[in-house]
Amino acid sequence: MQRNKSQFVAVASIAAELSAVMEVAKEISLAAANAKAIAFRAGEKAKGFQPITDFINELAKETIQLVNDINEHALKLYRLTVQVQRTTDARKRFEKVSALAESATHRASLSGALQQVQRRQMQYRRAFNADVSELLAQLADVMHPARAARVIAANSRIEASQAGEYLQSLQAVAESVDHAAQIINDKVNRCRSALSAIRGMD
Amino acid sequence: MKMNKIYEGAHQWIMYGRDPHKPDKIIDTNQYIVRTADRCLLIDPGGIELFAPMLAAVLHHAPVEEITDLFASHQDPDIISSLGLWDQALPNARLHAAALWEGFLRHFGCETIEYVPIADHGGVIDLGSVDLQVIPAHYLHSSANFHIYDPQARILFSGDIGAALEAPGAPMVVDNFDSHVEKMRYFHQRWMPSNQAKRVWIDRVRTLDIDILAPQHGRLLKGDDVKRFLDWFDGLQVGIAV
Ligand SMILES: [Fe+2]
Ligand SMILES: [Fe+2]
Repeated sequence: MQRNKSQFVAVASIAAELSAVMEVAKEISLAAANAKAIAFRAGEKAKGFQPITDFINELAKETIQLVNDINEHALKLYRLTVQVQRTTDARKRFEKVSALAESATHRASLSGALQQVQRRQMQYRRAFNADVSELLAQLADVMHPARAARVIAANSRIEASQAGEYLQSLQAVAESVDHAAQIINDKVNRCRSALSAIRGMD
Repeated sequence: MKMNKIYEGAHQWIMYGRDPHKPDKIIDTNQYIVRTADRCLLIDPGGIELFAPMLAAVLHHAPVEEITDLFASHQDPDIISSLGLWDQALPNARLHAAALWEGFLRHFGCETIEYVPIADHGGVIDLGSVDLQVIPAHYLHSSANFHIYDPQARILFSGDIGAALEAPGAPMVVDNFDSHVEKMRYFHQRWMPSNQAKRVWIDRVRTLDIDILAPQHGRLLKGDDVKRFLDWFDGLQVGIAV
């Protein structure tokens, strides 16, 4: 029961972290659009900055897409958690029936249901574990665009330094992208450790 | 779990209750089964905590594959929160319960068991060798609420009506109606919301030939106590919390 409870908490906290990641990715996308406008105004001076803004935007989009996929997966994982919980509870109670019905004429008639619930519990547990592994791999993928965004942010700072009076606004863009990428990094890491913990429990 | 055969004819009625292992803070309930040669109906099978002792008790009378029917008088947790477990235990069963509560009761888990919705006017539960009448008892206390009448056994299963709040291990049958009234008064005044619904139910039930009134809590009322109960209930003001 304790394990199930923490499974529910872990799966729910993953969903919460992911929706935060989504928000941040949207912010990055907005920052990229902003940067593009500034770079456009800066013209020649920010020539090197323009392709970077496109790239940032793409990374943001990619992150949003990945998070969408992961969310779907997390929902599936939540349903599996419910199934694992239901079958685990049923199994425990069927075993109790078996013990209490020691002298009952029809005690043996329960064995089919007991075997079935054992089988299902095992099936759901296996599916749950496989799903957790898949989800961990997907989360590792989300780290890539976030990491790339940080590298790009560093590049942007260099490009921004050539942009004359636009220096400050472009630098601010680079800062916010870097900051956002860092947040995504942290949140995804938190998801991964929550997931690794429940995988370790089984 | 105590077992008590309350009718023996072409079919049987068995009452279960007074489970000594029941956790203290949950209300004591009576469960009933109607057993025919090859079928078995569970009436208000009970809450999650009651599932294991209840099924263990029923296995003295029927194998799981012959538990073909469940009935829930209404949607309360003490009636049917065990549904998700029965759903995994019974390979071929149907649940007879109010159409109005279907979307609610399914929250307990109802995938294998077939939900047979009961319309507001009631109906019949056909157990093959015996037909049981489903009698409307709406707003007593639930907004969609049914009782079961067995014309052969002359038993009315009356859900929360006739219920009493008692100390653990109380006898199964009312022995002194006048003193028993005090154990029923608050329950009926506070849980039953409608004097109008009560009126309609009493008129309906007075037309039935009843030997045993079998409530979901408390004790059976037998013989003349049934009429005494109806008269007492008739005079009682309910819905006292407003
Ligand atoms: Fe109730
Ligand atoms: Fe009740």
